[in-house]
Amino acid sequence: MLAASAAALPVLLATAGCRSSEVFAGPDPLAGRPSPAPDVITLQSVIGAEHAMIALYQAAVDRHLRAGDPERLLEVLLAQHRQHLAQLQARLVVPPGSAASASAAASGSPSAAASGSPSAAASGSAGAGGAVSGRVTIARLRAAEQASAAGLVRQLATMPPALAQLLASIAASDATHAVALGG
Amino acid sequence: MSVGTVSAVQALQAALAAEDAAIFGYGVAGAHLSGSRKSAAEQYWTGHNEARDTLTAMISALGATPAAAQAFYQLPFGVHSAAGATALAAYLEDGVTRAYLGLVAVSNQHLRTFGALAMQACAERAAFWRGTTEAFPGLTPPV
Repeated sequence: MLAASAAALPVLLATAGCRSSEVFAGPDPLAGRPSPAPDVITLQSVIGAEHAMIALYQAAVDRHLRAGDPERLLEVLLAQHRQHLAQLQARLVVPPGSAASASAAASGSPSAAASGSPSAAASGSAGAGGAVSGRVTIARLRAAEQASAAGLVRQLATMPPALAQLLASIAASDATHAVALGG
Repeated sequence: MSVGTVSAVQALQAALAAEDAAIFGYGVAGAHLSGSRKSAAEQYWTGHNEARDTLTAMISALGATPAAAQAFYQLPFGVHSAAGATALAAYLEDGVTRAYLGLVAVSNQHLRTFGALAMQACAERAAFWRGTTEAFPGLTPPV
């Protein structure tokens, strides 16, 4: 009954000679889902880039399992990137069922690559599902960290204060990672 | 986490106060260090002095009066060894990192970027003294 009523609403409005936006003061309920806000889009991009960074580190850890000292450092840095991801995801609130929520929920979200995120680009583009192309080296990890730190700072402008602080803190962490990797 | 709607001048004054405290603290820490660690402390002390001058100029440019440094700062713990000095240096850098994080919350985009980049320098120095990196420099660790 409710569904039928909702379906009939446009017809009733048309019959009455008005659009739904003229009846309701708020957003047009028949216009579909609103576009994500700029800060949501940025956050999705950052989450995608963090997925890519994690995939890159995971590939490095897998490769250096028997390499002695370096993989211990890589494991520590990987764990910190997973902490970054958890905090970023905790702040992403999107309507259930929307394209944005599906993208955010996907492991190895492609949103960073789609948005041209500098950190994703520098990391060597770990794609959806965490696939890493090319050779993973310490120098590549270091470059990815440096690019991420710089890229996050560039994205602060449009963010609400608390989220800007989280991104700045993650950028600072990434900068220390780069130094730890010999940068 | 957020400092709310703190003004640019307030955030700059907080960063200046943290820099002044770091300058004082490095003076104490440096006396207990030697070799490369003493050199690092001297280099970082110089860096904090330069940052103080920069912040002082920024506050003045906004028409406010930069807060004067205190003659003495109560240290968080007694420093009687190189290990204590190293812990103090890390503590000081953490404090300055937190102060610059406040600048990231202001509406002025230039100040946000300035604060974020300053945070990176402080976090790198803190990691040097601590010997480890942190996931969230300047923020209270999430529970």
